[in-house]
Amino acid sequence: MEKLLDILASGIHETKNQLFYAETAIAAAEATHRIDLGEARYAIERGAHRLNRTLAAYRLLRHERQLALIPTVVSDLCAEMALEARLHLQHHGLTLRLDCTLEDAWPMDRELVEDMLSNALQNASRFARAQILLQARLIEGGLQLCVADDGPGFAHLPPASGTGLRIARRLAELHTRGPEHGTLMLSNGGPLNGACFTLWLP
Amino acid sequence: MATVNIDFSQRRFLVIDDQPMAREALRTIAQTVGAFAVEFAANYQDAIYRIRNNTPDIILCDYILGDGRSGQQLLEELRRFNLLKDEAIFMMVTGEQSYEQVVSAVELVPDDYIIKPFSPDKLLLRLARIMAKKDFFADYYREKRQQEYARALALLAAKRDSEAGRPYRFEILRQQAETLLASGDAVGAEDAYRDILNNYEFPWARAGVARSLHQQSRHGEAREEIDRVVASTPHYFDAVDLKANICIAQGETEEAQRVLDEAAKKTPRNYLRKRLLAEAATLNGDTETARIAMGDVIANDSMPGAVSAADKLSHARTHVASNDKISAEKVLVGMRESEVQNLTLDEQASFAALLAIASPEKGKSKFAGLRPALISAALETTARLDILRAAMVLNDRELADQQAAQTMAGPDAKKSFNSVRTLYALHGREMDFREIQKQVALRRIHHDEPNGA
Repeated sequence: MEKLLDILASGIHETKNQLFYAETAIAAAEATHRIDLGEARYAIERGAHRLNRTLAAYRLLRHERQLALIPTVVSDLCAEMALEARLHLQHHGLTLRLDCTLEDAWPMDRELVEDMLSNALQNASRFARAQILLQARLIEGGLQLCVADDGPGFAHLPPASGTGLRIARRLAELHTRGPEHGTLMLSNGGPLNGACFTLWLP
Repeated sequence: MATVNIDFSQRRFLVIDDQPMAREALRTIAQTVGAFAVEFAANYQDAIYRIRNNTPDIILCDYILGDGRSGQQLLEELRRFNLLKDEAIFMMVTGEQSYEQVVSAVELVPDDYIIKPFSPDKLLLRLARIMAKKDFFADYYREKRQQEYARALALLAAKRDSEAGRPYRFEILRQQAETLLASGDAVGAEDAYRDILNNYEFPWARAGVARSLHQQSRHGEAREEIDRVVASTPHYFDAVDLKANICIAQGETEEAQRVLDEAAKKTPRNYLRKRLLAEAATLNGDTETARIAMGDVIANDSMPGAVSAADKLSHARTHVASNDKISAEKVLVGMRESEVQNLTLDEQASFAALLAIASPEKGKSKFAGLRPALISAALETTARLDILRAAMVLNDRELADQQAAQTMAGPDAKKSFNSVRTLYALHGREMDFREIQKQVALRRIHHDEPNGA
């Protein structure tokens, strides 16, 4: 089993290198010809990161690796999420509002949290009417990250639990501090009166 | 493009990657963010040469460098040999997701790491952030470099309480603990690391606790902490080195050698680890492993100035222990005049002792001349073991017994116990060894009585 995983990991590694060359070539072309190929770059980045993080999640859940806990400045994290998603959202006629002025460093598995938020933003973009909000707050001694939209909300609550959601829940729970552990909640209403994805980290 | 506005045209970039296409890609990215001067290094040696000659402002280094070495090893070596100022930016570039595991665990970290693929905008954002951090810590870096620890700690304390310090809370805590340890306040460092662990389980902080305990000679407790770290983060090789040092202090040289052997196989070109392996193997009586490890260090550690007089003495020691006097003599006689003249007192003692064994006609008289000094001087355990070995060979029982008693009464008693016993056994003097052991114990009890009761 380990051997199979190593083969996959090495293949993914190679693929990502190729995607890196592709993205760099696009960025260079954008600069040279003064054109915007943001959507192409977004697709490449998201694809590569999905590969990366899928493998990471798999290893974590099989207890082959530990959470990579790194103090991450919350406002920086949100700025990067916006950088990744903003052009894509604009392309779909949506605006992304940031409410993340928290300057504090918070320990988290940065790549996994980025992946969860990136997926949440992607989901929101499918249902939002005009606006998506990314919000960070300190609540109950923990960090709460929330992705909300102004769409119709989830048709069923709790929503039929797919594989992605189940994995995300368990990854949130792996974030611990003393007896506390992270949580992931989906709800309706929220700040924009649509769907709301809430990740809380102790 | 991004909202960050920094002029990179005056900053010197160095891109380190063994893959030509990746180097080109990184150069393109650097140029896209406005870099003008971008240098390349295609391998480890080239990177060190360029950084030594003219430290770049910003280093973009791939994690995988080929040839059995990694960007992490490069970073560690640069920091240890003081080739990289705190002000220079070191950014690890990685396609390997396993690097997150490394960077979240280890004590020596880059300023940041970035996972491929990434856009120029993202790199720009990260670089801007690091520059802000460097500005925030600038005065601290200066005091730290001057080894003005009290002032460095005062600056950190002020930063910790400041509003501007909020993004750097953990970095400040970490620097406080490291500075306390560097200043020799191992108790303070232990408290600082434990404070961090009260909230989150960072492997580097637990290793810090172990390091602090080790410095306080609380080896048993240190061992418990470091065993936890090694078990949970097997890719954290520095923790293995620390564990080996603790094991050696506890006299568990076999375990020290075992864990080092395992780590050295995965990091075949880490020569600091090879040196430690040679030391553990020597203490463990595995002369062949020690010989191979030191031979590898001398032949292949190409870090400029890395092979020291102490390394050559270690190398000679492994030959002597293997009873290969000709090779030992060759190493010792081959040392440069200036090198021999600049030896420390401990090294002089080792040099004289090893040469007296390897070549009595060349070394015996010098060793005899040093004899009074060897008896009266406060020497380190390694030197004492060499003197003991020479005294045994030259049949100078008084000197041998005196060195054995000193070693066994000293703080390194556990570390050297096996070696001393083996030397006495080798010369058929087990009974004498037991007698010395008894005398040392009696003196200790005697010494402890007034306070102990």
